Amino acid sequence: MLIAKVLHSPVAHARIKNIDVSKAKSLPGVAAVLTYKDLPRVVYATAGQSDPMPGPLDTFSLDNKVRFVGDRVAFVAAETEEIANQALKLINVEYEELPFIIDPRSSMSDGAVKIHDEPEYVVHDLSDPNKNVAAAIRIDIGDLDNGFSEADQIIEAEYKVPKVHQAHIEPHVSISYWDENDRLVIRTSTQVPFHVRRILAPVLGLPMKRIRVIKPRIGGGFGSKQEVLIEDVVAHLTIATKRPVRYEYTREEEFIAARSRHPMIIKLKTGVKNDGTITANEMYALSDTGAYGCHALTVTGNTGHKAMALYTGDGKYRKAPNIRFYADIVYTNTPPSGAYRGYGAPQGFWAVERHMETIAAKLGMDPIQFRLKNCLRAGEIHPFSIAWSEGREPKPEYIQTIGIEQCVHQGKSAIGWDQKYGKQEWRDSTDKPYLKRGIGMALMMHGTAIAYLDMGGASIKMNEDGSFNLLVGATDLGTGSDTVLTQMAAEVLGVPVDDFIVYSSDTDFTPFDKGAYASSTTYISGAATTHAAAKVAERIRVRAAMILNDRTDGAPVKPDEIILKDRRAHASDGRAVTYSEIGHHSLHHKDQEQIMAVASYVSPVSPPPFAAQFAEIVMDIETGQVKVEKLVMAVDAGRIVNPVTASGQIEGGMTQALGYAVCEEMTYDDKGAPVERDLVDYHIFRADEMPELETIFVETFESSHPFGVKAVAEIPLDGVAPAVANAIYNASGAMLYENPATPDRVWKALQKQKIN
Amino acid sequence: MKPIQFDYYAPTSVDEGLDKLTELGYDGKVLAGGQSLIAAMNFRMARPAALVDLNRIPELAYIKPTDDGGLAIGTMTRVRRVEQDAEVAKRFPLLREVAQFIGHAQVRTRGTFGGAIAHADPAGQLPAISMAMNANLLVCSKTGERWVNATDFIFGPFMTVLEPQEMLAEVVLPPNPPRTGSVYKQVSRQKGGYAQAAVIAIMTLDEAGACQNVRLVMMSVGETPIVSEKAVEILVGQKPSEQAFKAVAEAVVTGEIDPATDLHATADYRRQLVRVLVVRALTEACERASKGG
Repeated sequence: MLIAKVLHSPVAHARIKNIDVSKAKSLPGVAAVLTYKDLPRVVYATAGQSDPMPGPLDTFSLDNKVRFVGDRVAFVAAETEEIANQALKLINVEYEELPFIIDPRSSMSDGAVKIHDEPEYVVHDLSDPNKNVAAAIRIDIGDLDNGFSEADQIIEAEYKVPKVHQAHIEPHVSISYWDENDRLVIRTSTQVPFHVRRILAPVLGLPMKRIRVIKPRIGGGFGSKQEVLIEDVVAHLTIATKRPVRYEYTREEEFIAARSRHPMIIKLKTGVKNDGTITANEMYALSDTGAYGCHALTVTGNTGHKAMALYTGDGKYRKAPNIRFYADIVYTNTPPSGAYRGYGAPQGFWAVERHMETIAAKLGMDPIQFRLKNCLRAGEIHPFSIAWSEGREPKPEYIQTIGIEQCVHQGKSAIGWDQKYGKQEWRDSTDKPYLKRGIGMALMMHGTAIAYLDMGGASIKMNEDGSFNLLVGATDLGTGSDTVLTQMAAEVLGVPVDDFIVYSSDTDFTPFDKGAYASSTTYISGAATTHAAAKVAERIRVRAAMILNDRTDGAPVKPDEIILKDRRAHASDGRAVTYSEIGHHSLHHKDQEQIMAVASYVSPVSPPPFAAQFAEIVMDIETGQVKVEKLVMAVDAGRIVNPVTASGQIEGGMTQALGYAVCEEMTYDDKGAPVERDLVDYHIFRADEMPELETIFVETFESSHPFGVKAVAEIPLDGVAPAVANAIYNASGAMLYENPATPDRVWKALQKQKIN
Repeated sequence: MKPIQFDYYAPTSVDEGLDKLTELGYDGKVLAGGQSLIAAMNFRMARPAALVDLNRIPELAYIKPTDDGGLAIGTMTRVRRVEQDAEVAKRFPLLREVAQFIGHAQVRTRGTFGGAIAHADPAGQLPAISMAMNANLLVCSKTGERWVNATDFIFGPFMTVLEPQEMLAEVVLPPNPPRTGSVYKQVSRQKGGYAQAAVIAIMTLDEAGACQNVRLVMMSVGETPIVSEKAVEILVGQKPSEQAFKAVAEAVVTGEIDPATDLHATADYRRQLVRVLVVRALTEACERASKGG
């Protein structure tokens, strides 16, 4: 098997004037060196999303231009990793360096250099490469000006959130080879195997039917693998060499040449009445997509769609809220942003939940009362559902279940809110005068799948011994979805989960599934699996009735009176047939048939999970150091199918969100070179540094799903950072407008607080 | 990455080691615990042509009380042993306190006391501690030996007076006089991480409670650990007070340190840390001294 390596650009923006690979090619052990000259010029987008791509097409496998430090220049395949690395050094590139943009605030300036000037660029909706705009959003709900005119106070502030990294344990890794039927097989660590096949076919110039994508067990993705990031590299090299090729990112490549969370500058302007009623709420987000527009529209759309939907206002504003969400998602010469668990919502909630805290303080209101007064209630319409749907036709969605008041109630009790909030003796109850305790909270909502778009399929086949094959397109990326989907099928069929052989996900063998993203697998793929199981259950009842009626040892049995339980089909008179009997009977004995069913599911709604996040901290008001002591998250994620894996999702999510709160940040020097390139300089929380975590599930039953579930995967990313910043405010009065809350930043905020 | 190719020697006696170092000259480099050197070699920031590994010389690892109440520590003594040694805890509780900030247990189990001092990392705790404790260092070569005070030993980042044919053999810590209190204060981004700033304070009070002597050392805020002269000027002979400690902190911040902005902290923030840590360290050292040390 050949090992692939990629030559990455050392400069932020340049045209390749000359590239000489002759020395690299003649190095013994090198099988291929590819540059833009060797590949067909096919424009595409790397975002792993459904057709049609909701964003611009602005990417080539290899281009004659580089747009960030780390961008692709050439591919190498060699017998060993050492030879491949050596070959990279032998490639001579002459760059014509171009002006570059690091700060998104200058992307749209007059005279700014054009990052995408390629004629093949395909515009989507409002994207405008001439102004370095990958996507733009203009959403107006109600009458904003009128809302502001009805306000007693208008509160404005600007917030800033950084670029952060997913830091999955397993890096991106792909293997490709031609199989015995001359089809290209790609085994890849991906969240979106079916999108990989669809998106790569034109890029490789192969008919889709000649490509097979296999997703083996994978070691985490967190959105980073909702991207067709490196599969094209191995595929191009296999096509060029006719040999199997493997490419695995180094940890450094994960930092300099993968995808990350969009950094944003967010302006909020909110009108309130003195009684705490929000009359109008306006957000403008300047979002930095980096050098390519992958996920540009949809991530930033989510920022508004989630964070600006939670507070509609009270009274008449509940039926007629005044909300504006505008955003520009601009190109810069930095590594592309993309999908990262939370998908725009953590950015939005940082700003909104800091802003709500500020407004409550200005009004002299209890911050929790103020939030609950204005937040969505059951039966109300999701305000964005009638205004925006990623460019598709919006259709109204009503909120069925909302456990947010219970979340607040139980979360408060778990963290001891009433004994701590506003109690000076608690705040000062440390052994040092410069240490202060603080407590803070945030509310949040997310979504469950994308309505009318996300589809998952599942098929179930029964074997002689009463076991079942469950084939799902759903992509278990370490989330445990294979287990959870099996649980649902096993519940319907009345068997233990051990009787299932589950296989996910392979474009040749399993039904389609859009993949693991948008908090959708348990809900969408779970509904598909449940429906497939119900169809199989129906055939089992028919076959069981046939067997029992042939026995003539009792009254005639109708299929619909049969109950499936304990690997048996039970008639109401107490007689039963085992699944093994039914399996043998159906395949070998009489009126033979394969008991098998396939089902798919697409939802007309995206029922939001809701949550309340609480944080308790202790901070040093002289040095700005903050230690988070406890996090409590109370979540309404509908019915919980598997409490162990669901609470694992919450705990893991809070861990990542805590990094966003206090220490994680990707930065670039003035030449656009990434500063953090490993997990030493980029610090993620270690197990021994974690505060106490507590997860509370407030279960509601979401009637749009057969088991009543909503999503749990992404919402824990949304609230920790603002809750921690609100706790810092509670402890010290220091107002943070930028995260993470590094000691340096907190100290500066403390200085400002003293001056004010 | 992996290191470049290098030769490797493992002498089993000090004499054999010194022979090898003399023979190799500038091509040779002493390998002690390897906790800094091997990492630097793997990143190819260090490219020695040959390593002389002292790990097979048992006679270089020891902790011996000296007659005057101090301690002599062999250069190859593991930091973990110093951290856990009862005699060290009794005579120099500061060493046990500071050891907990040195990397993680694994690093301390392998890393050596003398190796860390000879490495002279400006962000390393032990070079700063040796200066604060006024340690005397025994430097050996084939042609003889010499004693160097820790303050004179380090003259730049990763730079010491050691000649290529020499090795640091022993660190002698003079005893603390009665009524001496010592404190180590460090702030880092995370547990086991580099210090954004650190301060060591060792204060001796006279019988009347005035400051008889003080050693204040700042770390990670200059190219080498910085021994404060202002602290001596302001405090010696005076009754310790919060006001005096604050004056020392201001004098140190404005005149004695030269912090840089890097990945770990901005220069401004480092100044603020020193301002805070100096007062806290002096206050605590004084409290400990007044309780008898």
